[in-house]
Amino acid sequence: MKRELAWLDRVIFAFAAFFFIAPLIAAAEYSVRGYGNKGHTFANYSWIIHQLGFSAALWTSLRISIITILIVLVLVVPTVVYVHLGGHRYRRLLEIVCLLPIVIPVVSLAIGAQVAMPKNLQSTSYELCFFYVVVALPYVYRSLDIGLQSVALSTLVEASQSLGADWFKTLTMVIIPAIRSSTTGALFITFALSLGEYTLAVLLHFHTFPTWATNISQENIYGSIAISVTTLGGAWILLIFVAFLPRIKSLFARKERVA
Amino acid sequence: MRKQFVFGAVAAIAVALLPAVSAQSATADTTNWATCADVASCGGISALVKAAQAEGTLNITTVLRNWADYGDAEDAYQAAFGIHINDDNPDGGSSYEIKSIQTAPAAAQPDVVDIGASHIQQAMTGSTTGGSLFAPYKVQTWNDIPSLWKDPAGYWFGNYSGQIVIGYDAKLKVHPTKIKDLTNPAFKKVVGIAGDPTGAQEALISVMAATVANGGTFDNVQKGFDFYHGLKTSGNLSGATADSTHIATGNPKVWLDYSFNALGTEQLGSQIGKTIQYVKPSDAAVQGTPYIFGINATAPHPAAARLWVEFLMSEKKGHLAKDLAGDEAANVAAGTLDGGKLFNSLMGGQNIFQLGGAVPIEIAAMKAKKLLVPSPATIFQPNPAADKLTLQQPSVAQQTTATALLTKLWPTL
Amino acid sequence: MVIADELAAPTRTTGGSGSSRLSIKFDRSVLGLLPIFLFLGYFLLYPIASIISSSIHDNKHHLTLSLYGNLFSGNYRTAFTGSFKLAFYSMIVSGIAGAIICWAVVKTNGIVRTITSSAAGVLANTGGVPLAFMFIAAFGQEGLITKLLLNVFHWDLYGGSFDLYNFWGILLVYCFFQVPLMVIIFTPALENLRVEWVEANESLGGSKSQYFRHVLIPVLLPSFISACLLLFASAFSAFATAAAMSNGSIPLVPLFIGNLVNGNVIAGQENQGDAMAMGMVIVSLFVIAAYLLLLRVTRKR
Repeated sequence: MKRELAWLDRVIFAFAAFFFIAPLIAAAEYSVRGYGNKGHTFANYSWIIHQLGFSAALWTSLRISIITILIVLVLVVPTVVYVHLGGHRYRRLLEIVCLLPIVIPVVSLAIGAQVAMPKNLQSTSYELCFFYVVVALPYVYRSLDIGLQSVALSTLVEASQSLGADWFKTLTMVIIPAIRSSTTGALFITFALSLGEYTLAVLLHFHTFPTWATNISQENIYGSIAISVTTLGGAWILLIFVAFLPRIKSLFARKERVA
Repeated sequence: MRKQFVFGAVAAIAVALLPAVSAQSATADTTNWATCADVASCGGISALVKAAQAEGTLNITTVLRNWADYGDAEDAYQAAFGIHINDDNPDGGSSYEIKSIQTAPAAAQPDVVDIGASHIQQAMTGSTTGGSLFAPYKVQTWNDIPSLWKDPAGYWFGNYSGQIVIGYDAKLKVHPTKIKDLTNPAFKKVVGIAGDPTGAQEALISVMAATVANGGTFDNVQKGFDFYHGLKTSGNLSGATADSTHIATGNPKVWLDYSFNALGTEQLGSQIGKTIQYVKPSDAAVQGTPYIFGINATAPHPAAARLWVEFLMSEKKGHLAKDLAGDEAANVAAGTLDGGKLFNSLMGGQNIFQLGGAVPIEIAAMKAKKLLVPSPATIFQPNPAADKLTLQQPSVAQQTTATALLTKLWPTL
Repeated sequence: MVIADELAAPTRTTGGSGSSRLSIKFDRSVLGLLPIFLFLGYFLLYPIASIISSSIHDNKHHLTLSLYGNLFSGNYRTAFTGSFKLAFYSMIVSGIAGAIICWAVVKTNGIVRTITSSAAGVLANTGGVPLAFMFIAAFGQEGLITKLLLNVFHWDLYGGSFDLYNFWGILLVYCFFQVPLMVIIFTPALENLRVEWVEANESLGGSKSQYFRHVLIPVLLPSFISACLLLFASAFSAFATAAAMSNGSIPLVPLFIGNLVNGNVIAGQENQGDAMAMGMVIVSLFVIAAYLLLLRVTRKR
């Protein structure tokens, strides 16, 4: 099997790129149209910032997203690490459990949550954090699982322990750095999901950034398209940034060594 | 350290007691607005305005700004009384509204709901004890509401309805003037419907209008179904819902709509550089069943809720938000402006609905009392043949029969 | 619950040769999973339990399975058939297209690889109204690409029977998040194809087509099928996108659920909507179970 790209592969990439980029470009073009479809302008992007309630809504969503990734960091990451280290026999079980949220429609989860959750939990928007963790779980698990598979975890742990480190030091100074890129990727997917999630927030009667944005742009179609393009494009840029982070870091490290 | 602690504790206790102190010094408003059944016996409109201002917030749900010109109503209410309106889930449906009353936490429940007539039964038996979810309340203009569309005890009452009209992109080579025109091959792939008739009331009434246009009656909407089935077979029917996003992107280009959506869609058109026009069809003058108001029995803001329905059922001619000076709310709070006077100076909700192209429920009384503002001439294209027709309106029973029939038939479209 | 079975079954003590008495030992390693199980039990299973409860009661609060029985006939059956069809074809198209793209992707590395894998992550999560709008803006009646094709290539996309809102148009939209999902799932399988196997095939005198038939296909087929099953489950339960793309002229389960649970016309039948939603979940669970079974087969290799 040759490893360079044959012309056929380039054609495949070209087709794929066209199919996936064309809708994004089309939506972006729509979002920069001027009033009455005359000319183009970036005013639709700055419009949202000047609306009443922008910073309050954005701050609410940011708070919720931060708490969500903290829960993921504290609850999910150690569990997946654990299952790769000591609880091997339960790895299959955890995999099944983490796939469950894919098949549960979010609408049903919201309806059930309204009936099941205690009323004082339902009165704070932080209730959403827990459900966002549930919704993000399949993607988080997958990312962590793949990252942990490619690391010789037990070897690292043995080496670290033979050098005298306790469990906490091993976890924070050996394991987490080893899976840093997949952890950061998982956290960023969670962050992007929490920031842009609409259905659960609206059905549970909370006012987050997406619900506020939908409300405020009822009469401004260009504005609402600008928001969805920003959400999608922003998420992508964030993920690319995260993926390139190790590259950038090693670039700096190399410079330091040379200097 | 200890001094700071003591000082802090005293300050904390003082702060905690302050609301209690200030509440006692406020005017002794002992009216329990949650049980108030009509404004006259609860102290009058001025007292209601003051109480609503004290509550400061109104929760409504599933209200779109350019649906029956609700936007103007919201703006006027907020500007005049200084009460902030929370609109929850603008795209939601009546089932969602009723569910919200039943399951949402107390502070997030809607104060007033605006539901379809098909949901009255569910709302009247939906509380945990099997009783009504609503609190009985008769607005000042109660006698002007047709008895067919109000509950004798005051639990619910109609507010507005819409006539089925045809919307279209003016760039089309052929402009439709009657519902049967939709079969024209010039409209291949671009004829829309406002959704699924078993989910969207607008679509259901559109099918009823198509029935009438093809010679049928409300009791049996088979002819309406056959009409749309014909549109699908001939390739005219688009799979896109006739809502603002889809109309804005060019498909559908012809659709049946409620008259009160016309204004908003035409404004959307100018925003995106399209000319959208509406016309009343000359082969059917069909009015949908009215939408229904109910005040939540467990409303978090009972006074604001009652003020909202009084406002929306008011027939007065008067000021909209843009005509207000901006200091009215402050003046009422300070006591220099009588709340009742302010209320009477505002354009009543019934007239706002009229301006939005809806048919206000109190239209007959308003015409008799000469309170009705003229319907804006610019919304609909002239069609003299259409104006000659008398409006027909189905009953809730006919709507239920039609729903049952279409539930069976529509998947076979 | 599986956990209960594992706890109840007699286990060997770790490291020992196994005592002759059958003793039920508490396997402490399961404690590590307790936090996440408690979390999911409360925030996932408990809400769903109330949905299940509502779906087995009728309007008069009597226990009944009739709401599930309704799913097998009439328009509910049509909806399930419609959703099945859409998920099935979407699985086939996205599976094959995704596999082909995977083939090209595994040959890249470095910057191109990073960009494609992060793109796949974002694209696989798109859906609902934003996705629908993007497609309409590109391929709709007045879409950018439609106009481009018309003006530059003189190809009227809408002159024939192409329509973004019919069955195949919706399928096209589904591919937007299905194909990246396939790329994400299937790439590891392709990466495991060892170069040594190609060389082994050549040294044994096998031709390219023999390699294909006797090595490649048997190795890849289970992973491919299991990936396809995951695609099916994902397409079958896609809610928001179906609602955004169809007005009801194509019967799909999410649309029916929306009419019952969030509609303006039919009142008091939310229980039926919940039963439909649970029906969707049950179908997806069957598919996921098949996926996991197949995965076990491939992992043994």
